[in-house]
Amino acid sequence: MNQDQFNFIVYVCNWGPHAAYMELQDRGADIPLEIKMVRVPCTGRIGKALLFKPFEMGADGVLLAGCRSGSCRYGVGTENAASNTEDTRKILELLGIQKNRLRFETFLPDEPEKLLDCLKSFVRDIKAMGKSPVPRKRAAEEAAPLAMADILTRYDVHSCQDCGKCTSACPLALSGKAFSPRAVAHDAITGNLDSEAFVENVWSCLTCGTCYERCPSAVNFPEFIRDARHFLKQNRHDGHEVHGGFFQSLMRTMTAENLTMNRWSAVPPEIKTDPRGKVLFFGGCTPYFDTFFNRHLGVTTSSITLDSLRLLNFFDVVPAVLPDERCCGHDLLWTGDVENFKRLARLNADMMASTGVTEIITACPECYRTLAHDYKEQGFDLNVRITHIYDFLEREIGKNAVTFKDFGKAVTFQDSCRMSRFEGRPELPRTLLSKMKPQGFTEMQDSGKSAVCCGNSGWIGCDSYSKALQVKRLKQAKDTGCDTIVTACPKCQVHLACAMENPFRDAQKELGVKDLVSLVAETICWE
Amino acid sequence: MKKEVIITGFGGQGIVLAGKVLGNAAAIGDGRESTLVQSYGPESRGGACSAQVIISDTMIHYPYIRSADVLVAMSQSGYEKYIGQLKDGGMLLYDRDLVQPDDSIKEKYAVPATRLAEELGRKMMANIIMIGFITSVTEVVTLDAAKTTVTESVPKGTEKMNLDAFGKGYDYGLSRLKGLERKAAGKTGAMS
Ligand code: SF4
Ligand code: SF4
Ligand code: SF4
Repeated sequence: MNQDQFNFIVYVCNWGPHAAYMELQDRGADIPLEIKMVRVPCTGRIGKALLFKPFEMGADGVLLAGCRSGSCRYGVGTENAASNTEDTRKILELLGIQKNRLRFETFLPDEPEKLLDCLKSFVRDIKAMGKSPVPRKRAAEEAAPLAMADILTRYDVHSCQDCGKCTSACPLALSGKAFSPRAVAHDAITGNLDSEAFVENVWSCLTCGTCYERCPSAVNFPEFIRDARHFLKQNRHDGHEVHGGFFQSLMRTMTAENLTMNRWSAVPPEIKTDPRGKVLFFGGCTPYFDTFFNRHLGVTTSSITLDSLRLLNFFDVVPAVLPDERCCGHDLLWTGDVENFKRLARLNADMMASTGVTEIITACPECYRTLAHDYKEQGFDLNVRITHIYDFLEREIGKNAVTFKDFGKAVTFQDSCRMSRFEGRPELPRTLLSKMKPQGFTEMQDSGKSAVCCGNSGWIGCDSYSKALQVKRLKQAKDTGCDTIVTACPKCQVHLACAMENPFRDAQKELGVKDLVSLVAETICWE
Repeated sequence: MKKEVIITGFGGQGIVLAGKVLGNAAAIGDGRESTLVQSYGPESRGGACSAQVIISDTMIHYPYIRSADVLVAMSQSGYEKYIGQLKDGGMLLYDRDLVQPDDSIKEKYAVPATRLAEELGRKMMANIIMIGFITSVTEVVTLDAAKTTVTESVPKGTEKMNLDAFGKGYDYGLSRLKGLERKAAGKTGAMS
């Protein structure tokens, strides 16, 4: 791809439209030269990740050419392609990439003229729009090559006593996977860095931090893994990104500087924000999650963001928001892509600095962790107070004449690894819960600092063992006799909802999932 | 304008000190007239005790209260003993965890004074929290006068702690009034 030239990707289904395409080629028709044609077995197999990927790479338009409805060889291809296109267009729109840059059209084999017209008008329309706001090359953000010896020293991995306490506590090892943090530490120390086991294990870890809680030598295993992944990436060992790498792709796309985003478009008018507010609310990626998962999980993590804003308003805080807020970069940092993490951090940090706010509040444990610690550590000092919304709520509830309506459900609580373990504050959500009126609150067998992971972190390496782990976690939840799992992280909500769709789960009882922020917002009231 | 306030509770809650602070704040801080009548007796060892405070712009001829504008109750027995003296349409302020008021009383304002004091680490500061609450809800004394008087009435070295407690009660009162306003405007919670 050339930087100034227009680039178009046309995915063409092998059956109907490809026959038409060949006819055009045979007769030397004037197919626009900027088009790269990619022949695919069925457009229904081109998921959101593949529809989106070209945009990350700087394409100006993507056309999905499928078979006319009813003529799909596999039955549902046309429908799938239509719905994937629709979702991806919504995501493009959130990002501020015109949705018309992505289209889905259908053809019969004997419609070459129609196909040619379509290709031409597609190219013409998009040229009229101009280049995509996502350029192929983005500003360089350097990260020095890492040496494993330095990483080992940094986390004092040499002090590992080979005791195996980590492995015996690790939820992944306990799920039956041939995975052992102790063995990873051992491989790293002995320099066994190219072995399949080492690479596989480094990418498998959930960075949940359970082992770090137990380690007698206080080896910070999750942070060691974070840096080891960066090391592996630099040495061309990539991890298994889930969902076709869609989320990593999304995050990398956000490193484009000229995006004018619409990520707050769903904020209803009764919620007040103020560009001059002294407090900034950092929303996180919930609108993207909801759009991506809308068809199979039906999660609504955006309500966490909206309910947070409602609670700020309830306590008379009218916050600023960043219109072009990027992902905080947590997942890129924790999956070894430090270069792109830094690009995101720089963009966010510059926008934050230009607002002049004195405090940033967020409801996402990962955003909290990243803004409060990792930005500074990676060279982006925000110089403002970072507050988790639970602390804000605790502060305001303490000084206001408020009470809570009954919440007619028995609940249990899924800790977030970033707040309960990394920040060491498992009591924070519990103090809030204790002020509310659920119909009973029972802890799961493993809770607080020993809580079991929701199943995935950083959108990598989700496999059957992750599922086993989740099934176990849901069983623990069920054993409390609750009807609702209260969560503290939008991603816990996504992964747990996914686990509940598992057809092999013993489906005796459906459990609801609700975020603590929404629970507070729905039940809080004036005395 | 004249306001008659009865503060009641059990011995040891600092009821009389609360009355003194109110009276002094009005007289010294706000430059008005005030009187204080305190009932000690057996009550100070656990029964209902009270402080009767009158605050007025003109000279006060008789310091005893027969019909109070404001009753501040920090114990159930105190509440029961003095509720009869609250005039029709008078205001009841009470500790939410210690007093169960009658449904028939229209204008009532609750504050978890003792619980808030416990959260601050000193149960005995419940009276100071209550003074803060009285100040914002009834406005019988001004904020400045109340704060100055609290500072001058508490033991040396505990001023900051007591001002914090006062602030808690004061903010809680403001928040309570705000909540009422919001409710009147149809906004009961965060979702509506
Ligand atoms: S718990 Fe710590 S010391 Fe023990 S094997 Fe694991 S890393 Fe080594
Ligand atoms: S961070 Fe979690 S998943 Fe990774 S090794 Fe430790 S306990 Fe296992
Ligand atoms: S648990 Fe489900 S939603 Fe989460 S990463 Fe795995 S497949 Fe995706």
